[in-house]
Amino acid sequence: MRKAFLLVVCLLLLSALGFFLGLKVGSISTSYTTIMEALFSYDSTDPTHFSIINLRLPRLLLAFLTGASLAFSGYLMQALVNNALADPYLLGTASGASLGASLSFFLFADLTFMGLYLPPFFALAGSFAVTLVVVVLGSRRGQLIPSQMLLVGVALSSLLTALVSLLMFLSDSESQLKSVVFWSMGGFEKADWSTLGYPAVTLTLGLILFFFLQRHLSVLLLGAERAETLGVDVRLIRWVMLVSVSVVTGFAVAFSGPVGFVGLMVPHFTRALLGTTNRLNLIACALAGGLFLVVCDLISRWIYPPAGMPVGIVTSFFGVPFFVYLLRRKNYRFS
Amino acid sequence: MHTVTDDLGRKVTLPKQPRRVLALAPSMTEMLFAVADTASIVGRTQNCDYPAAALTKPVVNNYPMDYERLLSLKPDVVFATDGIISLEVAAQVQKLGIPIYFQAYDSVTDILRGIRTLGQLLQREEKANAVADSLQRIINQLATDTARAARPTVLAITWKDPIYVYGRNTLFTDKLRYAGGKNALTEIFAQPYPALTREYILKMDPEVIIGGSFEQMEKTFFSLYPELRRIKAYKQKRIYEVTDDLMSRPSPRVVEGIAELKAVLR
Repeated sequence: MRKAFLLVVCLLLLSALGFFLGLKVGSISTSYTTIMEALFSYDSTDPTHFSIINLRLPRLLLAFLTGASLAFSGYLMQALVNNALADPYLLGTASGASLGASLSFFLFADLTFMGLYLPPFFALAGSFAVTLVVVVLGSRRGQLIPSQMLLVGVALSSLLTALVSLLMFLSDSESQLKSVVFWSMGGFEKADWSTLGYPAVTLTLGLILFFFLQRHLSVLLLGAERAETLGVDVRLIRWVMLVSVSVVTGFAVAFSGPVGFVGLMVPHFTRALLGTTNRLNLIACALAGGLFLVVCDLISRWIYPPAGMPVGIVTSFFGVPFFVYLLRRKNYRFS
Repeated sequence: MHTVTDDLGRKVTLPKQPRRVLALAPSMTEMLFAVADTASIVGRTQNCDYPAAALTKPVVNNYPMDYERLLSLKPDVVFATDGIISLEVAAQVQKLGIPIYFQAYDSVTDILRGIRTLGQLLQREEKANAVADSLQRIINQLATDTARAARPTVLAITWKDPIYVYGRNTLFTDKLRYAGGKNALTEIFAQPYPALTREYILKMDPEVIIGGSFEQMEKTFFSLYPELRRIKAYKQKRIYEVTDDLMSRPSPRVVEGIAELKAVLR
């Protein structure tokens, strides 16, 4: 427990450091003094202050929230289907969101409707619709069957990916193609204060809920039967987990596009450090996910200014080697 | 038959006097109609819509490339531009026994040179030189009174999400020079049409934006990126729409494009 507490504190400190560094990186060169001035005596007419507060800060927050949401959802998914390879996209969330976003790119030349920027809402609708179908096809008599859900999710994902490819093939606009490809690789460039609330609220609620249900998660990792005998209402908790995963992932993906790797790897990372049953596991996992994407976004902006390399590429490039190293060194086992 | 080197440095062997030709890009089709004997043009792509006479020619899909249709039109030589037709497609066309000749243009002068080259390849030098000379005269006229004027910085947006713009290493920068402006981008990026962040645009603070009328851009661009309302172009309402095809096609109509740019910059 003490180790876990220490890890959480470390992650918080590192995140703060990441934010501070992140506020410095951008097209307009900035000193640390300017950052402090922008934070504590903000002058809206100064373009540097404006960029720090209205562009860089929301971008960092969105990166953090997305990483935390995906890691959180990955943690729950792995417990839900009791499979080490599960991630939040397994239920077709990512491909549903991709299809939704692609449709908006291809259907609406303006991308806005009554001042509302459409792709996130289409992505959200797509991810929810697909999750719903997977749940219906993956359950029998109201009982979720993890293995069946898994298979339906994988199959449906292929179909939806094919539909996105079809849309891309039929498109005659190179720019539309670029929009879809760019979105599907993930990024935080469009972050702004007005949209941060959605992922922030859903993630916080999810974290609070499962902080209190943490024991159930640990027990569920031992297998459904064992959990039943230990007095866990497996059916109920599975439904709660499923709803939480789809809501939290849906909102994270809607605003930043599907970012791979985080939901799959980060939960293993924290389990490798803390073991599988720690009470602070989920909190540490979310923090690690958030920190990880903040760092990846920073790297992407450093190596590829000004637009930044799509963050999904960076996560895989930098995350996978580290992950493999950790697995080999710790000799860690799932559940 | 003779062998020539095209703008990409490829060796192309083609008949000394081609009788059946077609182009695989809208701009190149415009070039052909300016230089070639109209009867010798045997096709066009689905996007070639200028001049009106082009619309009467049979269509060959160029994306994806319809090789069978191309073959059935029996061209002696096919013209292509860099960026529209890939080298992979070109190799396939060559394999069918049809020579394919590429042109590439980085500047307005390159387009005029391209016209003259076409004239040589099609044995219509007189016509081509007349076209190029008259275009050159118009360009000189357009550029005379812009030489000493203050040059506003111009950002031309090609796509809103993500924000793609005309980079420095595009024909656009050269056209602006004649029209009396300058590209707001000072850096050269690897891509000719780079994606930019909002912060980068804030930093550039362009004086003119091209990409749509003020009302259109207000609805589709600035509502999406309200932060960008702080740039000079927005505050001074210097946001303009120009004809898409004139902007994007490196064709003899490049002079009309320059004239249009000049009109909005004035």
